[in-house]
Amino acid sequence: MSPSLTSPILETRKLGMVFRGHRDVAALTDVSFQLYRGRALALVGESGSGKSTCAKILTRMMLSTGGQILFNGKDVTRPGDRREVLAYRAQVQMVFQDPFAALNPAHSVRHHLSRPLALHKPNLGYGEREDLTAELSLMVGLDPAETLDKYPHELSGGQRQRVNLARAMAVDPAVLIADEPTSMLDVSIRLNILDMFKPLKRDRGIAMLYITHDIATARYVAEETAVIYGGRIVEIGPTATIIDAPRHPYTRLLLAAVPEIGRPFGSADAGLVREADRVRAISREPGRLAEVAPGHLVRECSASFA
Amino acid sequence: MTVVQMNQPKPLPLLSVRDLCVDYASRTGLKRAVDRVSFTLDANEVLGLAGESGSGKSTVAFAIARLHRPPAFITGGSVTLDGTDVLALKGENLRQWRWRDVSVVLQSAMNALNPLLTVQAQFTDLFKAHGVKHKAEILERSAELLRMVGIAPDRLLDYPHRFSGGMRQRLVIAMALALSPKLIIMDEPTTALDVVVQRELLEEVTILRKRLGFSILFITHDLALMSQFCDRIGIMLNGELVEMGPPLQMIEAPQHAYTRKLWNAIPPLHPPQTPPRRVLETAP
Repeated sequence: MSPSLTSPILETRKLGMVFRGHRDVAALTDVSFQLYRGRALALVGESGSGKSTCAKILTRMMLSTGGQILFNGKDVTRPGDRREVLAYRAQVQMVFQDPFAALNPAHSVRHHLSRPLALHKPNLGYGEREDLTAELSLMVGLDPAETLDKYPHELSGGQRQRVNLARAMAVDPAVLIADEPTSMLDVSIRLNILDMFKPLKRDRGIAMLYITHDIATARYVAEETAVIYGGRIVEIGPTATIIDAPRHPYTRLLLAAVPEIGRPFGSADAGLVREADRVRAISREPGRLAEVAPGHLVRECSASFA
Repeated sequence: MTVVQMNQPKPLPLLSVRDLCVDYASRTGLKRAVDRVSFTLDANEVLGLAGESGSGKSTVAFAIARLHRPPAFITGGSVTLDGTDVLALKGENLRQWRWRDVSVVLQSAMNALNPLLTVQAQFTDLFKAHGVKHKAEILERSAELLRMVGIAPDRLLDYPHRFSGGMRQRLVIAMALALSPKLIIMDEPTTALDVVVQRELLEEVTILRKRLGFSILFITHDLALMSQFCDRIGIMLNGELVEMGPPLQMIEAPQHAYTRKLWNAIPPLHPPQTPPRRVLETAP
């Protein structure tokens, strides 16, 4: 399915966020992207790049100071009344980085899964709610009989993140925002968690924003990737193109620095890493985003690197 | 990456760990965290210990630096560093041995630095504790250490919060190098840092190591990073060292099922060009 044939579910247009203080901080500038049904966009950046601010704005934890957000073509930049906010939140759900902090230690798994159902689907009877709770648990690979009456401290990190995903899916959202969903988990179970996103996209048509600092997992999860630095998208396009034929110096720097087998330290390809400060400096420039190929946009900058 | 030259007779290893056992005491009895771990580390070598949380990799590192406190107890085995029986060291001898022979770099630089003291004051503490008394000498050596890790010496008068995460970790590495130890233990030194900063920092450590000739025991959960940085890699699982070898051997012919599982858990950045990245998983 080509994105051009369909319209985006969620779209940002020149989104901006300035934190006011004795020194104003522009956390996001001119951030535009689209999320499509059944596809994932990876937002890749390092700490402080603005990627989590983006998630907070899209999930209504924070209001942007510039630009627009469109949901199914409708401008939702400013929240309406309580009913509209609730309806939006039911459509745009989030999975957080810290699977421990995202669950209430005083409540069982059953409570975590049935509570959103009670809030967002008040017409369900008790039996139906119980059935749905069990179904959600199965969907994320947890045996309901074994899991539902457990408390968060009785679960492993991976199991907790599964509960978080089930909780997010309970209200049948159209958009799932996952902010570093595996960075606090053990390496050997990270892919198992990422694998759960695939059927959600394929079977339920979920549109996904996958936020990560790990560009290698972007390839695993997302069809499109946006690289963000200093609050600006410096390059956006098909994930394979971004990784195999990066154009922006910052994308190239990031890829040169990613741990990868067969590129020992002290070798030649550290070249760009040695110029990291220069790359960072020019990547903060407010250049124009230019389309270099269909769907592949690169921010123009004042210098080039070998 | 430095490869140990093999054309001369193999010297004694710098560090030798034999059948090391560490137990944690709890209300329900002893819990074995490190179970009969043995390995050696040569002079000028970088040895990596990889494993997941709870595998015992940090417990091994803490035992070598004699940092354990109750309820952790070293209950067996031996640790020898450059001829010194490490587990027999006591009192003032132990205090002087630490940092002069072995220094430690931990994950969180902010926890390793005192937020209430300037960098200069912390260097002064360090030098005074190890017998360097002259103010001018301390100043000169602190400035030199900062230059070595790429920080301007005029920043000695700043407090730790004035530095970025990467620079703080550089400060800690400068302190770890202060007394020219033979071994630096680095426990997840870059886990809290961005990948670019991680690469910059470890490239610099690589250069420093070539210049100064110290060994590193490098602990991380990131196997790909370890394969780039280390001369040999050991894999820890449930307190045991299950496999050890040079990166290439561990990548192309891992023997233990758990090593294969760890490799398979890393999604490849360039899937078609690097076929060995996906190692066939055999049935247990």
